[in-house]
Amino acid sequence: MKQTTINYSNIYYPPGGILMWIIISLELITFGMAIIAMVYCGKQEPDLFHQSRMLLNPVYGILNTILLLTSGFCMAISVHYLKINIPQKSKILLLVTMLFGILFLLIKTFEYNEKINLGLDINHNLFFTFYWLLTLFHVIHVIVGLVILGSVYFGLRKEKTNIEDVEASASFWHMCDLIWLFIFPIIYLFF
Amino acid sequence: MKKSITITYVFLILLTVISGIISGAINKNISFIILLLSALKFIGVSFYFMDLKKAHTFWQSIIIGYAIALVIIVLMI
Repeated sequence: MKQTTINYSNIYYPPGGILMWIIISLELITFGMAIIAMVYCGKQEPDLFHQSRMLLNPVYGILNTILLLTSGFCMAISVHYLKINIPQKSKILLLVTMLFGILFLLIKTFEYNEKINLGLDINHNLFFTFYWLLTLFHVIHVIVGLVILGSVYFGLRKEKTNIEDVEASASFWHMCDLIWLFIFPIIYLFF
Repeated sequence: MKKSITITYVFLILLTVISGIISGAINKNISFIILLLSALKFIGVSFYFMDLKKAHTFWQSIIIGYAIALVIIVLMI
């Protein structure tokens, strides 16, 4: 594998690359604006938002947060092993990262199925419109992240991927954590 | 480095569990505490998992500024 030394303290070379950080910044701004819109609407109709929030099970949210954080932890350790040139452990941890990501999606699927069976779909009320839009957009990011990690895994197996590619992919994956860390309290705990 | 990532992970899990437990409490400051814990987790992930602690101050400021701004705006609404 090609090894390069990157000076992260240079403004143009943040860990993961400047292009990835531009994407991360834009994504954070987009989700941040949606969260602010949700809170604003929630303040207009506090009873509706509180009653709707009580229909959600925060255990799903907490469990999903733990799964995403564990996944992010495995990813960070995977990058660490790659940097100290232990690719075997790095590849195993990359697979564990993806496993936790898949578990997140499975729990989300179970939760969505429960909500649909209860008739709490996107048209139910304004709270659930935000619930579905925010969480589904986040799920799309997780799916894209899993595809990227899968591609990196096969690249590592064929020794065609370098550390910069892995770091950029890891940054995208951690971005899913970052977005979720604000979606979770606002949707499941705030109102 | 591995040790700092592991310590961060333990703290993140603890903060998540604390958020879940205190969310049921009836207190006028509970929203602020929940958001504060989320902001701490946000900074923990970006600085230790994403290795932002080694990055230029500009990127660190963006992340810290974003977390603070979001918490303040949400609390002000």
